[in-house]
Amino acid sequence: MMLLNELTIAEARRLLDSGEITARALTQACLDQIRSLDGALHAFLEVYEEDALQEADRSDARRQAGQMAGVLDGIPLAIKDNMLSQGKACTSGSKILQGHVSAYDSTVVAKLKAAGAVILGRTNMDEFAMGSSTERSAYGPTRHPRDPERVPGGSSGGSAVAVAANMCLGALGSDTGGSIRQPAAFCGVVGLKPTYGRVSRYGLMAMASSLDQIGPMTKTAEDAAMILHVIQGQDANDQTTGEVELFNPKWTESLKGVRIGLPKQAWGMDGVQEAVRDATLDAVNQLKNKGAEIVEIDLPYADEALAVYYVLMPCEVSANLSRFDGMRYGLRQQAPSLFETYAASRAQGLGDEVMRRILLGTFALSSGYIDAYYVQAKKVQTLIRRGYEEAFKSVDLIVTPTAPTTAFKLGEKTNDPLAMYLEDIFTVSINVAGLPAVSVPCDNNGGMPVGLQIIGPWFDEKSVLNAARHYELAAQKI
Amino acid sequence: MKLDKEQVAHLAKLARLDLGEEKLEAVTKDFDSILPYVERIQAIDTSGVEPFAMPSKARGWRQDRAMEVDDYTRELILSNFPERSGDLLAAPGVFETPKK
Repeated sequence: MMLLNELTIAEARRLLDSGEITARALTQACLDQIRSLDGALHAFLEVYEEDALQEADRSDARRQAGQMAGVLDGIPLAIKDNMLSQGKACTSGSKILQGHVSAYDSTVVAKLKAAGAVILGRTNMDEFAMGSSTERSAYGPTRHPRDPERVPGGSSGGSAVAVAANMCLGALGSDTGGSIRQPAAFCGVVGLKPTYGRVSRYGLMAMASSLDQIGPMTKTAEDAAMILHVIQGQDANDQTTGEVELFNPKWTESLKGVRIGLPKQAWGMDGVQEAVRDATLDAVNQLKNKGAEIVEIDLPYADEALAVYYVLMPCEVSANLSRFDGMRYGLRQQAPSLFETYAASRAQGLGDEVMRRILLGTFALSSGYIDAYYVQAKKVQTLIRRGYEEAFKSVDLIVTPTAPTTAFKLGEKTNDPLAMYLEDIFTVSINVAGLPAVSVPCDNNGGMPVGLQIIGPWFDEKSVLNAARHYELAAQKI
Repeated sequence: MKLDKEQVAHLAKLARLDLGEEKLEAVTKDFDSILPYVERIQAIDTSGVEPFAMPSKARGWRQDRAMEVDDYTRELILSNFPERSGDLLAAPGVFETPKK
């Protein structure tokens, strides 16, 4: 008999609906798993044990009364520590927000609650989502479930580990340059970054507002679709949510007639580990076996996307994080003058990587340099988006590896910021262009997990997830 | 472009960060590898290209108006103040004696 916490969301839904299991038993199984493993892995910053069990009981009562709230009713989920949940602590992995309590619900949390989901707790992350390893959390690193000497990726490393180690059935992460997809790849789970504007960012602590997007981290593409279906939609509190048709999953019989492009710039790149190349090329062959047509494509400026990202993102970081000044909330380090109080509060409360990015952004926006850095990066962003527009005239989807390496050792890259930034080489251009992309786990002969990234046109999450599901079926993961 | 320690110290002042000598040196060194990497964008011909602004399918403007909150929400907001004087936010003096 399979353990309840190992179920997919879709399986749990069926068993709940048929009355074979209860939400309480499902939630208890997750809480037991957290209790036995999280001392070693540190995926969670806080577990809401009592609240979760009470919510599970309410869900069971609703089901018995025939008044189910939605498809996620009774499903235990974990939330990254940068999404507000009223009355609960929320720190974004930073010391500057230690003890901070959310005053209101983020839109995504409100939607999950309304859908009856059981929220288990908040997960660890790189401070303010800045990092690719979860080593930059002010509350200590999260460890890889298969090898505790290795990192789980980041910044949504806590959510990725919580899903991979069966501590929850699914989780939410946020992705600014790869923070859902890269940890999903490292931990062997599915991670979807929706189109910019698909999911409301209201109540998500902003890192780079024009690039941030919330998305699901799950065991299967079908589960990712179930969560996206609940959290999506226009929101009067987020003016960048798109006025577009809602996402509905569409699962096809095969991939016949689907053209998939392999950008030669990505597949020809140096620095991609052999195991990653082999596993992802094998995955491409599986997509071909399912009927897809594979073609090589030209994607100009792919190489420059990371440089564009490391100008635009720090600029927005420097503006967004100016709110942490020790005045209205967060840590205040009182000093003789107002200026010194600002400077001391920020230096005490913020970590080194956060300060590095604030300074980089301050530089790129400063008088005399803004045109050569920020404005030029915004122009190249236009060219990058045009490159994708052109590409999607001839192909339906684009695939690349998710990350150039598998999970690396703790401490391996913490002293070399540029090496850490290069982890995002395949993921950042998707945020720069605002596209949807999923990372789906590949078979790596028992080695550390590898992810295949499947990218689609704007607001076409259904094609992205459909292809991911076909690969799962071909690889007999489901 | 290479930044020296004084230039980074100026950025730290603009960003209101009391870095200290050790971190100032470390960041200056980090910039030596990061800046040349990002400067590759300057070689791209962008003549006649507009800077990207906003996704076209965004909702546009909304009214800017004050909203009521319930007592619980109000208390949560107040409880996050670093220093409180009743229901007021206590802050250090804004007007300082100019430094010599």
